[in-house]
Amino acid sequence: MSKKDRTSDTVPIHLYGLRRGTVTVVTLICGLFAAFILAPLLWLLINATKTQANVYGTPGFWFARPFHLFQNLSALGRDVSGAGVYLQWLGNTLLYAGSAAIGATLLSAMAGYGFARFGFRGSNALFYLVMSTLLVPITSVALPLFLVYAKVGLVNSVWGMILPSMVSPVGIYLMRTYIDASVPRDLIDAARMDGAGEIRIFLRIVLPLTVPGLVTVLLLTVVAVWNNYFLPLIIFSRNRLYPLTVGLSSLSHAAETGSKAELVPVLIAGGLVTILPLIVLFLFLEKYFRGGALQGSTTG
Amino acid sequence: MTDTIVRPGPAATRDSRRAPRRRRRREWPGAVFVSPHLLALALFMLVPTVYAVYDSLQTTQLIGGTHYSGLANYRTVLHSAQFWEGVRRVLIFTAVQVPVTIALAFFFAAVFDAGIVKYSRFFRTVFFMPFAVPGVVAAVMWSFLLLPDFGPYAKVAQSLGFGHVDFFSSKLILPTIVVIVVWEWTGYNVTILYTAMKSLPQQVTEAAIMDGASLRTIILRLKLPMVRPTIVMLCFLNTVGALQLFTEPSILAAFQPQAVSYGFTPSLYVYNTAVGSGDYNLGAAAAVVLALIIGALSLGAFAIRKRAGEFR
Repeated sequence: MSKKDRTSDTVPIHLYGLRRGTVTVVTLICGLFAAFILAPLLWLLINATKTQANVYGTPGFWFARPFHLFQNLSALGRDVSGAGVYLQWLGNTLLYAGSAAIGATLLSAMAGYGFARFGFRGSNALFYLVMSTLLVPITSVALPLFLVYAKVGLVNSVWGMILPSMVSPVGIYLMRTYIDASVPRDLIDAARMDGAGEIRIFLRIVLPLTVPGLVTVLLLTVVAVWNNYFLPLIIFSRNRLYPLTVGLSSLSHAAETGSKAELVPVLIAGGLVTILPLIVLFLFLEKYFRGGALQGSTTG
Repeated sequence: MTDTIVRPGPAATRDSRRAPRRRRRREWPGAVFVSPHLLALALFMLVPTVYAVYDSLQTTQLIGGTHYSGLANYRTVLHSAQFWEGVRRVLIFTAVQVPVTIALAFFFAAVFDAGIVKYSRFFRTVFFMPFAVPGVVAAVMWSFLLLPDFGPYAKVAQSLGFGHVDFFSSKLILPTIVVIVVWEWTGYNVTILYTAMKSLPQQVTEAAIMDGASLRTIILRLKLPMVRPTIVMLCFLNTVGALQLFTEPSILAAFQPQAVSYGFTPSLYVYNTAVGSGDYNLGAAAAVVLALIIGALSLGAFAIRKRAGEFR
């Protein structure tokens, strides 16, 4: 993961016996796809600065006067549509994503350590059970969850959102792989010889050695919860509890059907503020996200 | 699993005959470390699933309350033309979107890995960006970008001589959603495939170059077979995601109500039945049928691959 990553150009090009033009052509293809990816994000950035009339009436990929960005942003602090307050949704999202990520990281680290360094009876079968839930994303459990919540009083409860988000099969897989690679068995055995308890070993030896893996699981869970739509849509009926995704969805309904002017640019500005934190997180902590892609190199 | 009694009870004696005492001491912490996650898994995944099955076998009436009704809800779902229409649509969507996404991702991962792209670091970062964009925001952006008449893409289509193009017409709505989902997920798949290729041994590639193998041969005959397990896994993950298509059409429905019907996809059918119409029993039955369809497809694919000698 560490050294291999840094060699960006693996093989000198002339060795492939390629024509010089090939590099240009392939780079152009990548450029076209990059334009396809960036265009909507650019559009979002530009149109967050417009008035509603200009969103519809001026070219989408160029700025137009009056410059309305600050009015649109300040509207995020008020209930402009009757659907709720954007800033409250932002706070909720931070709360849900933060607590779920910390919980998921801790649970995944414990379980990953349990699977990686202990051979208890049934551990393999259990590990496969955990991995099989990878094929059952939380979206398909959302409605059944709601039905159970209705019975036990977890509807419109913050816990109803946070607790299920702590179940992270990918997190366990990553932590198991990571602990296998970076926590030597001898070290644990030596600590046992010295009479350290199991919990102390986990806290003092295992966790410090797996910090990069922990950060990766943390980030992946933050993104997953931040982007989750189906679960909160089903379990929350009070707009004070909405996360950003459900809030923006109700705002877009209001913008489309309502007679209130100026909702569309507020919606666009809201979308921009929703993705900026994650993009910044991603640009600064890119290498940890790439560690998350290790789930791709299946060890079988 | 956790018979960790200090006094060797009847259960433990069998164990101690099989393994020395020190092994047993190594066993119990593992089970303890694993248990919190398994408890959460049971409470928030297994219990709801079982409860959904139970709920789908009941019927709630205004007068008389809830009573057991056997497979009546399943009959209603299976006879619903809307539901099957949605299943058909989502199958077509999956059959197009997943191969397109993975083929694009493999192409980009392979050229980045071969080092024949300038600025490849920049491109990798840009491609991954949509991963940070919630489906809701993506669908809102594309709704405006693809607006008929006003939207920039409709204007481009017009200037290219396609005349009046409506991306949300009944003919184009599915391709439109394919484009949106490809935009969202290709970069994520590129990153995973690229990482998998980077972890392959370098000597093999170098040996192939020494033998004068062309780049195409190296990519298709050497790297493709080596990352096949990763591709299989990505196929599974993308397919399970695609079959549950919900976010994009449900947001598009806010802007283009005529384009997205009540049962446009099975997930929308489940949502609109349970939350929209308040018929939770029928919604639960539809959710169980959808889960069974997804499970059957996954297992079928698994069986075929197993016979073909994968997953040894």
